[in-house]
Amino acid sequence: MSPSQPLPPKENALFKRILKCYEHKQYKNGLKFAKQILTNPKFAEHGETLAMKGLTLNCLGRKEEAYEYVRRGLRNDLKSHVCWHVYGLLQRSDRKYDEAIKCYRNALKWDKDNIQILRDLSLLQIQMRDLEGYRDTRYQLFMLRPTQRASWIGFAMAYHLLKDYEMALKILEEFRKTQTKPGYDYEHSELLLYQNMVIRESGTLEEALQHLEKYEEQISDKLSVLETRAEILVQLGRLDKAEEIYRELLNRNPENLAYYQGLESTLKPVQESQRQFIFVKCSFYIIASYFLGEVFRKLVDDYMRRAIHKGIPPLFVDLRPLYTDLEKVKIIEELVLGYANMLKQKEVFSEDDNCIEKEPATALLWTYYFLAQHFDYLGHTDKALEYVNTAIEHTPTLIELFVSKARVYKHAGDIDKAVKCLDEAQSYDTADRYINSKCAKYMLRANMVKEAEKMCSKFTREGVSAMENLNEMQCMWFQTECALAYQRLGKWGDALKKCHEIDRHFSEIIEDQFDFHTYCMRKMTLRAYVGLLRLEDILRSHPFYFRAAKVAIKVYLRLHDKPLSDGESSQQINTANMAPSELKKLRNKQRKAQKRAELEKEKQNAAQEKREQHIKSRQQQDTEVDNVKEEELVPDKLAKVEDPLEQAIKFLKPLQLLAADRIETHLLAFEIYSRKNKLLLMLQSIKRAYKLNPSHPKLHSHIICFYSMVSQQTDLAESVSTVLKQEMEKVYGSKTAQQLNEEFLTQHKDSLPHLLEGARMLYFLDKSAESRVLELVTTFSKNIKGLNIETCTEVLYAIREGELGLCEEEVSKFISRCNELFPIATAFRPELQKEDENLVPQVCIAGDGGITNHVDGLTKEE
Amino acid sequence: MNIRCAKPEDLMNMQHCNLLCLPENYQMKYYFYHGLSWPQLSYVAEDEKGKIVGYVLAKMEEDSDDDPHGHITSLAVKRSHRRLGLAQKLMDQSSRAMVECFNAKYVSLHVRKSNRAALHLYTNTLGFTINEIEPKYYADGEDAYAMKRDLNKLNATDVDSKGSNKKE
Repeated sequence: MSPSQPLPPKENALFKRILKCYEHKQYKNGLKFAKQILTNPKFAEHGETLAMKGLTLNCLGRKEEAYEYVRRGLRNDLKSHVCWHVYGLLQRSDRKYDEAIKCYRNALKWDKDNIQILRDLSLLQIQMRDLEGYRDTRYQLFMLRPTQRASWIGFAMAYHLLKDYEMALKILEEFRKTQTKPGYDYEHSELLLYQNMVIRESGTLEEALQHLEKYEEQISDKLSVLETRAEILVQLGRLDKAEEIYRELLNRNPENLAYYQGLESTLKPVQESQRQFIFVKCSFYIIASYFLGEVFRKLVDDYMRRAIHKGIPPLFVDLRPLYTDLEKVKIIEELVLGYANMLKQKEVFSEDDNCIEKEPATALLWTYYFLAQHFDYLGHTDKALEYVNTAIEHTPTLIELFVSKARVYKHAGDIDKAVKCLDEAQSYDTADRYINSKCAKYMLRANMVKEAEKMCSKFTREGVSAMENLNEMQCMWFQTECALAYQRLGKWGDALKKCHEIDRHFSEIIEDQFDFHTYCMRKMTLRAYVGLLRLEDILRSHPFYFRAAKVAIKVYLRLHDKPLSDGESSQQINTANMAPSELKKLRNKQRKAQKRAELEKEKQNAAQEKREQHIKSRQQQDTEVDNVKEEELVPDKLAKVEDPLEQAIKFLKPLQLLAADRIETHLLAFEIYSRKNKLLLMLQSIKRAYKLNPSHPKLHSHIICFYSMVSQQTDLAESVSTVLKQEMEKVYGSKTAQQLNEEFLTQHKDSLPHLLEGARMLYFLDKSAESRVLELVTTFSKNIKGLNIETCTEVLYAIREGELGLCEEEVSKFISRCNELFPIATAFRPELQKEDENLVPQVCIAGDGGITNHVDGLTKEE
Repeated sequence: MNIRCAKPEDLMNMQHCNLLCLPENYQMKYYFYHGLSWPQLSYVAEDEKGKIVGYVLAKMEEDSDDDPHGHITSLAVKRSHRRLGLAQKLMDQSSRAMVECFNAKYVSLHVRKSNRAALHLYTNTLGFTINEIEPKYYADGEDAYAMKRDLNKLNATDVDSKGSNKKE
């Protein structure tokens, strides 16, 4: 009870009932009791009751009132720990964790040993990774409740996370001594394994090994014991024993690659021929990767025949890891071409199989299918198409064949044809979501967002738009592909919306930790818990985040360079060359579309509301944390951003922290900072990129631009220009920008991506060099590298945009040149054949993973 | 393909694989719940680039008075990787962990009545039997078969890779 505002017994009993109601999530009743106290004029300003009323209102979603009541309560009773605690809980539910921590600390001033507040504080501290604070709070909890298991565990864990292993281990060992449960006990087993994890991390491997051996009997997770022992033994150099364990592990799971790597590290270098004895039982790929030449030929021959005979569709996928070795690729090709030939003539795999049984008809089919994928992988479009078409003639409704054909078209640069193939594929099995997803993905690559959404909706919940459901389910592949499609379509706001949605998923997943702080201590799954904490610390290093952040940054850069004007919606259509009648038609159409969209929106809002009510009524006991309502993301508002560069930096920061090993991070950083004229940050980006790959083509352009930018600055502070000079000398030496560029061009004369950047810079430095600039990017030397659809699209874009000088007649020349090289690619269709004039320039935002995956004929993806 | 026990950092990629392959989806928190409650039970199959091509998400059923038993929350293998025997290998590893770590007597799962391919796999390859039919189990109103596999025979010493080498 509050000492400054004590309540008489009757009201005090009512107040206790409010607390009970809150705990049991009976919010309506809680409000009733609060009313009974507050309607009495004597207690109308009772601080703790007002605060509790506010907290209860918050749980009912009435946030503004909640804040009002809680603050009023607090003003009336500043010395009440309850009021401060409640204010903290309210802020916590709003995810204002720093504020909440301050409140809890105030609460503790008035009641320093309050267990509940200390617990709540410790949760926030660990969530915010205030490890020192966490340790202090856990210490207090430990002193107050030394008999509770969680007190010990939390206390030890705080030291572990602070890397004070000695103290952590002392606490854990004392605690372990008190735990003597006989027989099977999962939690005890987990405790021992956690203890072992800390010992290992402290670096005392010998002790870790002894610990493991001593308690082996009490640990039920046998696999962890074996794996850990093997790892320690290797590190300690006791290879014989380690070898034995790795063999045992392989016996348990012959498909685990790490066990093979472990086993190999225990073995002295052996002769090629002996290797067979080492790998008694294991998957084919692992064996095959160790052998060469004739031994390999025999192995792979047997393996492929068996698979084709049985009809294992993923045979190519299975062998693909071997394609890093050109000799092996050649052997495989020879063998499979041989099968195709013999199967066609005599229904056997090879000449000497004459006497044995004939192969089933499907053998030839799978052989063609294999060859189609093989040639596609190597970039031989013609052959790939030939084989896949022959296979389709053989069996016209096999889904895999259409998937394969779609992939060939995608790689060859005709995404529309690819979509048609996949659409056919998915029509043969509409119950298979994998094929449905694949089709939707290709549609997005072809900028068909509406169609893709419709495709996906076959597997999303009814009554909600697919977009919404996929967002709710955190379906990030779809959202990333959508963002890319919108970016290509110039729908900047929509693209940004998708990027922000993805960013929010990451925030949500970080939020998800909260409940596990207490849960895992109860469950004793401490190793997994530490794994979770470490994962959450680097969560945004996930490729999904990288891709979304990259789109967001590029779009914000675009919006900085060319902001949308007020009347302009983010969906741009070029109206400049339209006849008035056409324009009117267009405007009518737009109005209608808008009306339709509004209606649709209303319908959805109604449905959403209904659903929310339904959910509310069903789960009365939702936790406060779920009340957080995020601001709605409106494409038009996003596109009319006022501080695009600041927004871009928000997406950049996590990349700099967690994806510093990717050169693109620093290239993007340079682009942002160069627009802010932040020389030192530009320098930093260049230095970081330079360290990763000094000859990256884009980096070269940045370096040259930076060079000229710095040399034009006249009013630099002395200290700044000294730093710039010192640091850039390491990159430039004493050369001029022109010299640097010439050097770069000579050095990379056989690489198109480099030539493109070099040419760009040549024109940038010297506008009169036009003819030479063009020659650089349009005369392909014999052994030129990087001559692929992606780079050629970039070159075309650069020519069109005048980045290489004014050379309009060059455009069609270059297009027909590329058309010869890549006859299927839609990006290089001669002007007359274009089916839709509007789509082509959008394809030109190259390098964003849209059009093609080829890198010198080897595909990166799939 | 590489088959190994799932780590916390795999869970997001398992969700991705699930969203590609199956109509029943879950938010990340549910994956965390599995990974943090029964870290030994979920397995992944990954390709040479580290992409997850199949997974089993599994748990222990803890509330029942029944014998301790495991439950398969979700099992998926990408269509592009089917018929390599991955599902079976994943299930065998998970089942063994259920027995070793949690003393499971059997493992249960639900399958759509219309999913003949899965039904065939569970019955013919993995040794499950239909226990009962659960009407309208799925969100779209479809019935489910509740299936069980006895794990008593699978005591820790004699499960070696015999089971897992057998191809479908």
